[in-house]
Amino acid sequence: MNGSHLSDMGAASAAPKLPTLKPAFKRRSKRLRAWFPYLLVAPAVIYLLMITLYPGIYAAVQSFYAVKFGPWNPVGFDNYVRLWGDYQFWGALWNTFIMGAISLIIQCVFALTLAFYAYRDPWVKGWRIIFLVPMLFMPSAVAFMFKLLFLDARVFADILIRIGLIDGNLAIQSSIWGSRALLILTDVWQWTPFLFIIFVAGLQGQDEEIEEAARLDGATWGKIFWNISLPLMRPVIAVALVIRAIDITTMFANVFIVTKGGPAFGTETISFFIYRTGFKFFNFGYASAASVIMLIITIVVAQLVVKRAFKSGKD
Amino acid sequence: MNKIINPTRRSLLKRSAALGAMSAIGTSIAMPSWASGHLRDPAAILDDISVANYVRKDYQDLYEMSGDPLWDPNKDWIRTVDWEKVRQELSGTTVRFAVGAADAESALAGLAPFEALSGITVEVVPIPDDSMYDKVLAEFISGNASFDALQFFSPWLGDFAAPGFLHELDDFAEKWSLPLDDFYDTYRMNYGFFNGKMYGIPFDCDIQMVHVRKSYMETILGGEVDVVNSIPTYDELIRVSGELNKIEPGVSGVGMMAAPGFWSTYTWEHISAQAGMMLFDENWEPIFNGDEGMKGLDTILQLSKNANEGHAGAGWPENRAAWLGGQVATNISWQDSGTQGMRPDQSNIVDDFVTIYEPRIAGGRFAPPNIAGSTSCVAASAQNAEGAFLMLGFLTTASIMAMNEANANGVAPGYRSVLENEELRKVSQPAKVWGESLDHAWCSPRLPGAFPIEQAIGNEINRAVVGQITGQEALDNAAVAVRRIMSENGFYQGNDPVDYAAAEPGLYVGEGKPLPF
Amino acid sequence: MASVRRTKSENLFIRYLILGSWALFCLGPVIWFLSIGFRPRTEIITPQPIYISALSLDAWHMIWSDWPMAKYLRNSVAAIFGSVVIDLALAIPAAYSLARYKYRGREDIGFYILSTRMMAPAIVAIPIFFLFRNMGLLDTIWALMLIYAAINLSIVTWIIRSYMTDIPKELEDAARTDGAGDLRILWEIIIPAVLPGVITAAVIAMIFAINEFLFTLLIASTPDAYTMSVALANFTGGSDGLIYNAIALVAFLAFVPVFLVVIAIQKHLSRGLTMGAVKG
Repeated sequence: MNGSHLSDMGAASAAPKLPTLKPAFKRRSKRLRAWFPYLLVAPAVIYLLMITLYPGIYAAVQSFYAVKFGPWNPVGFDNYVRLWGDYQFWGALWNTFIMGAISLIIQCVFALTLAFYAYRDPWVKGWRIIFLVPMLFMPSAVAFMFKLLFLDARVFADILIRIGLIDGNLAIQSSIWGSRALLILTDVWQWTPFLFIIFVAGLQGQDEEIEEAARLDGATWGKIFWNISLPLMRPVIAVALVIRAIDITTMFANVFIVTKGGPAFGTETISFFIYRTGFKFFNFGYASAASVIMLIITIVVAQLVVKRAFKSGKD
Repeated sequence: MNKIINPTRRSLLKRSAALGAMSAIGTSIAMPSWASGHLRDPAAILDDISVANYVRKDYQDLYEMSGDPLWDPNKDWIRTVDWEKVRQELSGTTVRFAVGAADAESALAGLAPFEALSGITVEVVPIPDDSMYDKVLAEFISGNASFDALQFFSPWLGDFAAPGFLHELDDFAEKWSLPLDDFYDTYRMNYGFFNGKMYGIPFDCDIQMVHVRKSYMETILGGEVDVVNSIPTYDELIRVSGELNKIEPGVSGVGMMAAPGFWSTYTWEHISAQAGMMLFDENWEPIFNGDEGMKGLDTILQLSKNANEGHAGAGWPENRAAWLGGQVATNISWQDSGTQGMRPDQSNIVDDFVTIYEPRIAGGRFAPPNIAGSTSCVAASAQNAEGAFLMLGFLTTASIMAMNEANANGVAPGYRSVLENEELRKVSQPAKVWGESLDHAWCSPRLPGAFPIEQAIGNEINRAVVGQITGQEALDNAAVAVRRIMSENGFYQGNDPVDYAAAEPGLYVGEGKPLPF
Repeated sequence: MASVRRTKSENLFIRYLILGSWALFCLGPVIWFLSIGFRPRTEIITPQPIYISALSLDAWHMIWSDWPMAKYLRNSVAAIFGSVVIDLALAIPAAYSLARYKYRGREDIGFYILSTRMMAPAIVAIPIFFLFRNMGLLDTIWALMLIYAAINLSIVTWIIRSYMTDIPKELEDAARTDGAGDLRILWEIIIPAVLPGVITAAVIAMIFAINEFLFTLLIASTPDAYTMSVALANFTGGSDGLIYNAIALVAFLAFVPVFLVVIAIQKHLSRGLTMGAVKG
C-alpha cells in the first residue's frame, strides 16, 4: 500500500462531516477495503485465466501425446522433435514474419504519409470517414473481395493488359511471392486506416504553439513533421505498431479464403499451420506442440516489447 | 458432386424437388396418421415422385420435358420394392440420419415421401460439414453413434469400414432386392464393398472427364468436334491447348485443378491412370512414382503452361467458375462441368461445348477415372439398421438420382438404366460418353488413411506445378509420405487392414474389354 | 484539442493528389464489389471482367430464401450482444480497480489483462475446441458468446480504465464524504461519467466479435451457430460453387451497421483502438 492511497483514506475519514462509526465496524470495513480492489478485478482475471491458463496447460499436456480421436498415446518430446525438423513449420514461421513485417512497414509508411497530409486539412473529418471504410468490413469479406478482384475475375490482370503493362497471364497463384504480395496488399488495404486514425489523433493532439513557432521561423511543414511532430509521436507510433504487429501475426482469414496456404505452403502462416495440422490432418498433439511454441514466443515478445510500448504510451 | 471435403446434402435434398411440391407431399400426410394405421396408398405417393414435381420448372420448360421418366421403372427400387411389406415390418420405427450442416431442413422435406411410404420416422442428426470426418469418426469410436445412417465422401470408406464401424448390408440388399447389378461395376465395387462384404450403397457417382469448347475447337479443326478423334491423346491436348491459349483475351487453353491438397491429386490420378498407373502393388507398396505416374505429372506440367492463371490455386469451386464463365477453352474436371454448362442460369457457354472421350496415352490404357464421389452407409451400432438401409435405398434410388442429374446439382447417378435412358440424355449432355466410359473405369482403393494420403500427394504435386521441385522429387516425396501414413494405419505389419485381392478387381474394370469407339 | 490547422501550405496539389489517390484506392474496390452484389451470377466471372453489368436482385432473394440468412443475422447479433454484456459486467469493476485503487500487483494484473489481447486465437484454438466439445457446447451461440467475451475482455477493460482515469477525484471524494459506499459510487457516478468510454469499448468489442473468424469456424458448424463472418465461407463449397454476388451482399449487410455506429463514436476511435494509450 503506498502513501497516496492511505492519504485518500485519511482525507476521507478526517473530513468533519463523516458520520461516527463504531470502532469494530471501522476495523472490519478497513479490511474489506483492502481486499476490495482485488475483488473488483477478480472476475475478469478468473475469466481470462480460464481462457488462457486452462487451454495453455491443456495444449502443453496434449503436446506430449499423439492424439487423433481415440486414446491419447504418450510420445514424449516426439512432437517437438518432429516440429524441429518440419520444413512446413519453419516455413510457416518465416511466412508469418516476412509477410507481417513487409505489410507492417508499408502500412506504417502509408499511414504516416496520409496522416501528415490529412491532419492539417480542413476536411480531415471527411478523409477520416472515407479512409475508415476498408477497416469496417469483415476481414473474411475483404478476403473474398480481393480474391475476386485479383484472382477469379481477373480484374487486376485485365486492367494491366488494357494499359499495356503485361500481355499475358498474371499467374498469381503459381507464384509464391505473387500470392504473398496479394495477401500483403489485402492487409494493407484493410488495416492502414487503423494506423491512420491513431496517427491523426496523435498529430492533432500535439501542441499547436510549437508548430506555430516553427512556422514563424520559416520551417516547411515537412521539416516540422520530421523534426518535431514525428519524434513527439514516438510513443503513439510504438503503441499502434505493437497492436498492429500482434494482429498481423495472427493472420488467418485471409490465408484461409484467398490462398489456403498458397502455392507450396508459401503463404501458410503459423495460425494456418496449426489449423491445418489440427483440423485437416487431425494431428492434435502435433498442432498443440506448435501452439505451445507460439505461446512461448508470444510471452517473450510481450515481456520485451509490449510492456515497454504501453508503459511509454500510458497516460 | 460437391467437391469439398465434406459433401453437403444441400444439393440433393434441396434441389431434388421444387420445394413447394415437396412440402405439399409432406403435409398431405398428417404425421400421426401412420400411427393410427392409415397410410396413403404407396402408388399414389410414388406417382408424386416424378419429373413434374422434382425437376426445376425452368429446366422442364427449357428442355420441353414431357414428364416421361428419365429412368427405367423396373430398375427403380422404390417402385419395385414391396412397401406393404416394409410397413408391416418396420412401420412405427425411427431412423436417425446424419446429415451435413445446412441440409437438415431440406433433408426432412426430401424424406417426407419415404416416411409416407414406409411408416418409418426419420430423425435428422445435423453433423458439422467442415468436421464431418472427425465428428463421425469420434462417434463411431465411442461405440454409440448418435445416428443410424450417413452419407459421406467415398474415399473415407476405408477409414470407417476397416475398424468395423459399418454395418454389413449384404443380407438387406438381398432381402429387399436392391438392384445392385444396375450399378456400374466401378461404383458397386468401390463404393459398396470392402474386403468382400457390402457396406454401402453408392450415392454420388463421380467421374472425371475432359470437356472442350466447340467454337474454339472448330477454328483449329476446320470442322465439327469428334468426341473420339479430335483429341485422341494427351499429347494432342497439350498441343491443342497451346493453340487455343489466348485465342481470345482472357481465354486460356486448358483449365485444371492444381491447388494444394487432394485437388492436385485428383488431376494427377486422372491423367496418370491413362498412362496405366496403379497406386500400389499387391503388397500395398506405393509404386505411383514410377514411369506411369511421372508421365501423368509431366503431362500436367506441360498443360500448366497453357492453363488458366489460377490453376495452381484452383479447387473445384474455382475451376467450375472459370469453366462456366468461359475463361478456358478445354477443361479437365468432373462430369458436372458437362451438365451444368448446359444450364443458362449458371453458365455462359451454353451449347458451346462438348464432353469427349478420355484422351489416351501411348503405352497406357483407356481408364476414365472414378474419383471422389460419395456413398451411403449404416452404422454398426445402429439401432434400426434395416430401417436405415431402406431409407438409404430410397435416397439413392434410380429415379431420384436421375432427377438430381436433371437438376444439374452435381449429384450424379451411377446406374446403367439411368445413363442409358434417352430422356435423361436429352438433359444431360455428357451422359452417353460418361456411361460408356464407366465400363473401363479406374479407381483408387478405399484405404484407411486415404484422406491424409490424398492431401500429402497433392501438396507435393502442387509444389512441382509451381516449380519449387521437380516432378520426380514430388512423387518420391509423396511415396515416402504415403508409406508413412499407411504404416500408421496398420499396413506393412503382417496384417493389412485391406485385402488386396478383394480390392483389386475394382481398381480397373476395363481389362480386356473392347473400347466403346 | 485543435482539429483544424491553417490551410495555407505549399503543395496543396500534392496533398490532394495523395489523399485523393488513397481515397480512390479505398473506395474503388468497395464500389465495384457493391456492383457485384447486384449482378446476375453469369456476369461475375467471365474471360474479361464486365465492368458495367446488368442489374439483378437474384443474390438478394437467394440469401434470404436459399440460405438461412435470418439465422446467421440472429446468431451474429445474439452472440455479439451477449458477449458485450458479459464483457461490460466483468470489465467495469476491473477497470475501476485498475484505475482508482493502488495495491500490490496492480501493474502486473493490468499487464496480464492487456497481454491476453496478444493471444493469437490459434494458440488456444485446439484446447478451446476440445473444451467446448466436452461440455457439449459446440455449435451453440453460448460458446461463441463466451469466446468473444474472452477475446475482447482485455480491450474493453483497458478502454474503460483509460476513461476512468480521466474522472476528477473530487467527484468521488464528494460522494464518499456523503457516505456513499464504493459500489454505489461506481454505479451512480463513475459509470455515467465514463459512458462515452463504455460505449466506445462496446462498439470496438462488437466490431471484433463480428470480425472473428477462426474460433467461429471451429465452433460453429450448422446454421444454429453460424455467424455472418463464417457464413460467407459457406457460399463457396456447395453445389453452386462460388456465389460472389451473395457474398458481396452479405458483406454489405454487415458493413452498414458497423459503419454507422463507428461514425457515431469516431471522436473516441483512436483512444478505443489503442486501448486508451492514445487520446484522440
